This record gives sequence, C-alpha cells and structure tokens, in this order.
Amino acid sequence: MRWRSVVAFPLAIAALATLSLYRETMGFPLFYLGVLTSVLFWTTQATSWNILSGYSGYFSFGQAAYVGVGAYTTAVLYGRHGVNFYLTIPVAAVLCALLAAAIGGLAFRLRSLRGEIFALLTLAVPFILAALARINSTIDGGQGIILAVPPFPAGLGLFQDFLYLISLLLAGAAVWVAYAIQHSRFGWALSAIRDAEDVAEGLGVATFRYKMLAIVASGAIGGVGGSIYALQIGFVTVESVFSLTVPLFVIVMSVLGGRSHWLGPVIGAGLVVLLQDRLSASGLESWRLIVLGAALAVLVVIAPDGLYHRLRAQPWLALAAFAVVTGALWTSGVWGVPLDWILLGALAGAVASIWPRRPRASAPAPAPAVAEPTGTPPAAAGGVLVEARNVAKYFGGVRALADVTLTVREGELVGLVGPNGSGKTTLVSLLAGTLRPTRGSIQVAGRDISGLSPHRVAHAGVARTYQIPRPFGSMTVRDNVAIALMFGRQPLPLAQARRAAEQHIAFVGLSHLAGALPTALNLHQRQLLEIARALATSPRVLLLDEALAGLNPAEIDSAVEVIRRIQRSGTAVVIVEHLLRVVNQLATRVVVLDRGTCLADGDPKTVMSQPEVIRAYLGKRAHA
Amino acid sequence: MTTLQAALSGALIGGLYALMAAGLSVTWGVLRVINLAHFAMILLGAYLTFEIASSWRIDPILTVAVTAPAMFVAGATLQWTFDRLRIAEFTSLLLSFGLLIVAVQVVSNIWSADFQRMTGSVNPYATRSVSLGRLVFPVTTLLAFAFAAVLIAGAHLVMRRTFVGRAMRAFAQDRTIAAAFGIDHGRIGPLVAGCAGASAAIAGMLFALSNALTPATAYEWFGIVFAVVILGGIGHVVGTLAAGVLVGVLSGVVSVLVSPAAAPFVLFSTIVLALLLRPQGLFTAGGTR
Repeated sequence: MRWRSVVAFPLAIAALATLSLYRETMGFPLFYLGVLTSVLFWTTQATSWNILSGYSGYFSFGQAAYVGVGAYTTAVLYGRHGVNFYLTIPVAAVLCALLAAAIGGLAFRLRSLRGEIFALLTLAVPFILAALARINSTIDGGQGIILAVPPFPAGLGLFQDFLYLISLLLAGAAVWVAYAIQHSRFGWALSAIRDAEDVAEGLGVATFRYKMLAIVASGAIGGVGGSIYALQIGFVTVESVFSLTVPLFVIVMSVLGGRSHWLGPVIGAGLVVLLQDRLSASGLESWRLIVLGAALAVLVVIAPDGLYHRLRAQPWLALAAFAVVTGALWTSGVWGVPLDWILLGALAGAVASIWPRRPRASAPAPAPAVAEPTGTPPAAAGGVLVEARNVAKYFGGVRALADVTLTVREGELVGLVGPNGSGKTTLVSLLAGTLRPTRGSIQVAGRDISGLSPHRVAHAGVARTYQIPRPFGSMTVRDNVAIALMFGRQPLPLAQARRAAEQHIAFVGLSHLAGALPTALNLHQRQLLEIARALATSPRVLLLDEALAGLNPAEIDSAVEVIRRIQRSGTAVVIVEHLLRVVNQLATRVVVLDRGTCLADGDPKTVMSQPEVIRAYLGKRAHA
Repeated sequence: MTTLQAALSGALIGGLYALMAAGLSVTWGVLRVINLAHFAMILLGAYLTFEIASSWRIDPILTVAVTAPAMFVAGATLQWTFDRLRIAEFTSLLLSFGLLIVAVQVVSNIWSADFQRMTGSVNPYATRSVSLGRLVFPVTTLLAFAFAAVLIAGAHLVMRRTFVGRAMRAFAQDRTIAAAFGIDHGRIGPLVAGCAGASAAIAGMLFALSNALTPATAYEWFGIVFAVVILGGIGHVVGTLAAGVLVGVLSGVVSVLVSPAAAPFVLFSTIVLALLLRPQGLFTAGGTR
C-alpha cells in the first residue's frame, strides 16, 4: 500500500502535468484542458466533502459555504485590495477551517445529534453567509468582483495551463490527504463513527476529536478549492459561489463514485463533469440538471454504495463495456467527437457494473474450532474496582434510579437482576459513562468518572456490551475487534491490532468467522463478537447487558462458559440477566434492583431467598 | 406604527409559511420521510394555478379543484414508491433532493426562468386590500392566512379526534407496534402523503396569488420552511402555525427596523440557534416527537 503514496501519486500527477507542459508537442487541444480543469476542481470539492460526509456518514449540504468563503477571500483580498494572489490561498484555507471548526464545534457538541439535523444545519450555513455578503456591500462593493490574471512563471504557457497545473496540484494533494486518512487510524475511527458512533466511543474512540479533525480538513481543502475557483471564473458574485448546485454536484459525484473509498469522488467527478460538458455541447443545456437530479434519485435506490466497489468486484466487465462502445464509435467515426465516445464508453462501463444481479451464494463456513479454556482458578475478590455511591438518574421528571450504591471488587462476578424497568440498563450506562448521573459519584480504580466522556471511561477500564448487538457493519469480525485495540489505553497500529484481535476472537470461539462481515453472523455469534470486542479494550471491569437474551439453551451454555473464562482471567464482570439459573450458576454476588433502588446485595443463595426479592420478582401473593 | 404594520403583515405571511411547512412536518414526523420534493409540489401547484387561471380565465382560487387532486396523487405515489423501496429517513432526503432538482429544471424549461405573474384581469385579488384604521392588509395575505388557519386547525382536529388521526399518531410513535395493532402501513402512508401534497398545491395557489413566480423560488423557501418545521416541532401541525407566525413577525420587524436584506440573516441564525438549543421544537412539551 505504501508504494502508492510514495510512487504512484507523484507519477500520476506528473503524467497529468505533461498534458499541459507538452501540450503543443502532443497536439492536445486547449479545450480538453479546460474540461480537465473542471474535473480537477470538482475532484477537490467532492474529496473535501467525502472526508467528512463519506467517511463519517455526517452528510453536509453546506459545501457551498467553503467554496463561497474561499472564493470571496481571494476575490476581496486579491481582486479588490491587491494582496498577492498566492498569499490569499492559505488565508482562504484558514478561514474555511475556522468556519468548519465553528460549525462542528456547535453541531457535534449536541448530544443526540442526528444525521438529518446536521444536514439541515449545514444547509442553512451558505444561506446565512450569502445573506451576510449581500447585506455588507462593503465586502464586495455590491457589484461582484473582477479578478485579473495573477503573475505566474512564463515557462508554464498560457493562463489555462497555469490554472490546470495549480488545480492539478491541489486535487492531487486533496486526494492524497483522503488516501492517507483512509489508510490511517483516523480513517478507521471515521468508519467506526459511520457504522455505530456511540459503540465506537464506548470502545475508546475519541469521536468528537476525530469528527472535528475531519470537518476542519474538509473545510480547509474546500476553501483552497474555492480560492482557485475564483480565478477560474474570473468574476465572483454571491450567486456564482454560494449556489445550491455545489452540494448537489459533490453529493452526486460521491454517491455515484462511492463514498467509503478515496477513489470514489474522483471517479464520480470525472464522469459527472464529462456528462455535463457533453450535454451542454450537444445543445441540451436545459437537461443538465434534470439528468443529474434523476441520476442521484436512481443511484440512491439501486447502487447506494457507489461505482467503486462494483468496479472493483468486476473490473473486466466494465473495461470490456468501455472498450467495446468507445472502440465501435471510434472506428466507425460516423458520429461525435472523441469526448463523446469516451463518455458513452464510460457510461456503458458504469451501467454494466451497476446493473443489478443476484449475489452468488457464499460457501458455508467451516466447523468452529473451540478454544481450550485456560485452567486458572477463579481469582479471589480483591480491592475495590468500581464504586458507585448514592447514584441517582432522572430523565426529565421520570426517576430511573434513586440512590443506588454499588461496589465491584477485583475478580468478582456481580449479577445485576431486577424486574423490567428497575434501572439495570440505566446503571450500566452510568457506569460506562454514556449517561451522566443526576446525583452521586462513580469511581473506577480510584478515579472519578462521572464527568468523563465515554471514551475516557473506556480507557479507565470499563467496557460494555449492548443488549442488541451493534457491530460495525462495514468491517469484518477481525477488524471489529481490532478497532478496540487500535483505540485502547495503549493504542496499537493496524497490523498489530489485527494480530492481537485473533487471540480475542479465538477466546470466544469465532476464529472460523474472523474474515466474515457481521451480516453473516447469527445472534449468538454477534453477542460473542460484542464480548470479544469489549475484551479487546482490556477492561478492568466488563459490563454485560443481557448478553444471553434470545439464545437457546445450548447457546446459553456456551456463552456461560465464555463468561466464566473471562472471570478466571481476572477481569471483574457485571452481568445483567433475567435468567436466574445463569446468575446463580455464575455470580459470586447478586445485586437486586427494584424501581430504581437497591433491594438486596449479597451472595446468590441468601439474596434469592429474601422475601422482598421474591415479592419483587414474582408478585406479592407468591410469598404469602 | 410602521413596526406594528410590519409585525401584523409578517404574521399574515407567516400563515403561508406555516401551510407550506405543515405537509413537510407531518410527513417527516409521521412517515419518517424528509420530502424535499414537497417544495417541488408547491412550485408546481403555483405554476399550474398560474397556467390554468390564465388560459381558462377562471378564478385562481378555483384552480385548486384541479391542482389539489393532482398533487394528492403525486404525493401519494411518491410515498408508495418510498414504501415499496423501503426508503429510510436519510435516503429519502437524498432521493427527494434529486427529484426537486429535476422538477425545478422542468418548470424552468416549460415556463422559462423569467418571472411570471397573473395579469390583473385574471387575478382580481392582487390589487385589493382591506384597511383597518391606518393599517392596510392586502387581500391576498388575508386569504393565505385564513386558508392556513382553517386547514391547520382542520388537520389538528383530524389528528386528535378521528380514528385515522389516532392511527397516524400511533404510527408516528412506533410503527411496528402500530402495525401489530392492525394499522395498515401500506394505506396510511400514501393517504397522509397525499394530503400533504394537496396542502402543497393550496400553498402554491396562495403563493401565486400574491407573488411573481420563478423556478428558483423553490430554493428560497427551503430555509424559511425548514425553520418553521423545526421551530414548530417535527410532526406538530399547530406548532407549525405558531412558528410560522413567529418567523413572519420576526422577518417583518427586522426588515423595517434594520433592513430587508438583514431579514434572512436573522432568520437563519434563529434556525441555527433553535436547532442547537431545542432540536425538538419550541412549541412541544419536552419529549422528542
């Protein structure tokens, strides 16, 4: 993979640069260079959009804000006040990065921010900025700003050559950044956020920080692109840069090309720009947006994952379609110009790879190889690990927990039981840091965690599983576990994390499925994956929230065996469970919750024979 | 006095925003679909009113007899498609964004991008106004407000009092449970979306009464209408009316006291604040949806 960033990127950029540098020698028409410049501009914008919206799943409708602010920065500073053009580019980058940081800082601080709200919020931003620019006519003089051609090295040729080369450099840099992000810890964090954000946070991923980094990178790249766009259009008005077609274009390009891969926006930009250019050239100007809008609507339904993945699955089919169509048009030569032939070939390739067909049935997985249990004796109860004191939690006026005190010692296996609605899951969420207590304090290993964000609580040594398993859907079982190791207390690089993940996968007996996607797993296997992922954070205490719900008796026995092995390895476990058989079998201590208070606390036999407990569980009459 | 006039005129115009927003709010809240194509239906409604009234020489208000059923069918068909393709909240936003772009361009190709306005002989309402002391109100805005108030009150009563309304509210809260109690998902979706479409047609007619039309107006509604939907609380029709009036008064007063150009700035800043501080809406009681 490394050779790409070191060799392939510079080579690709150099190859594209020769088109301009040796344009006259090669007889490459200037007009084509213009089309390519446009492709490069949109590649930059779509890549900028994709770094936040594609990788992390937070769709933005506000790309025009970066284009607008970038273009306006250059237009005002260079066009009106005569500042050096090259100096305005970094200024545009900084301003847009600040704007992005402000948007992200406001939006991502919201608890329970939903994707649609973020989309609408970003939709409003360009409108606000455009209104601001219209009100303050001192910004642009009220008439729009004309930009002169800036000085550039004479050896580059014409202005168009200069524009092409500078766009090429920027697009190359943008794509390289997207590539680097995708192949780093940062990219994995963003993928985890897209798949299941709070799970990622609970495993130790600092989600807020990574989202902020992504939005700032996106803003800076978009701003530089806007700054060069100002030069490209030569005349900057509010309408020309804050337009709604910018988000439309970048969304269509990224959705078409594929959002989860750095190459997706590049493919999309190439195809869309070529299509738009050919439609205009064929006198179908008024159909451009109709075709684009329809393409978006159709693609969202039939190929939401985009072209890249389809192309990768069947590269030869697409290539063959392209070669046949383009070749046939070229040799017959009865209609069109080369760009038309290329476009039709590319469209044929795209259609061939998107065409829906039935997926082939996958081969059945080989029989499971159950890992041998490690035969260490259960650790004796040691020092206090978790101490929740007088904890209360209210949701509005609803009392979920009133004054609960719970301690967990090292090596213990605490069974947390109680009727539905007694506050068990609330208590688990408080211990894991997903909820903050209304009152009371929670300490883990002597450290107060009640104000910490969940990823810090995870680093402090608390891991949880969810009642309904929530794996990262786009990652294999191995990578699901590797994420926890990459963002744990001692972060590992990807390769090491993958190796170390094998051990945890073997521990729960899923080795035969390590390369499978979560959709291939049944409920039991998903719950085991949840456990493996939680264990990979090397927790001091593991919170299992109804990890056995919905399993059949045989599966329960195998899960019980796994939990027992976890406790033997020295990790304290808190298990929320309705099956008293399991709790009695496993727990060294049982805590009973009832209507938000702690009803009983002690060894299983004593607790289960207490009259209040029986009453709470079986109703008042049962005891009488 | 001018401020009072501006506030009252703003409140009346706010009724029109509320009517535009009501359909969007209900489809979002009840059907979990963010239908940007709603703006396309308002736009089409407005242009159809313009076209029919101008060529048939009938009273523009009567055109809803044609446009409302047409948009009912359009809305219901779209929802039926969403249901068939099992399209979720987010995908619907993207898909309908594509549809909106297509619709706006189609309108532009048919009626051109220039401003179109019904002539005085076709539209008798445009030039009339009612004066109350020194306050003057154009008949068109009074009509718009009256239509909005009646339709929204009617929708509210239907949601509260009838079986269909109760079914809708149950559906909004938990569609799986609602389905288990025998509420037919396949029928209620298109019905609700169809009514939203019809309301879009009426809003379009009212807009055409008092304004010149241009295809890009659809995008200009975006901000204000979403502000009203979110401020009113997603899925709450009465909240929509209150939010519409609030937004109308705010833009009216800012236009007079500061400058008309400042109105959108104040407005969008209000949306951002509202989204940040009360994402569940100003006029809802605490809980989300």
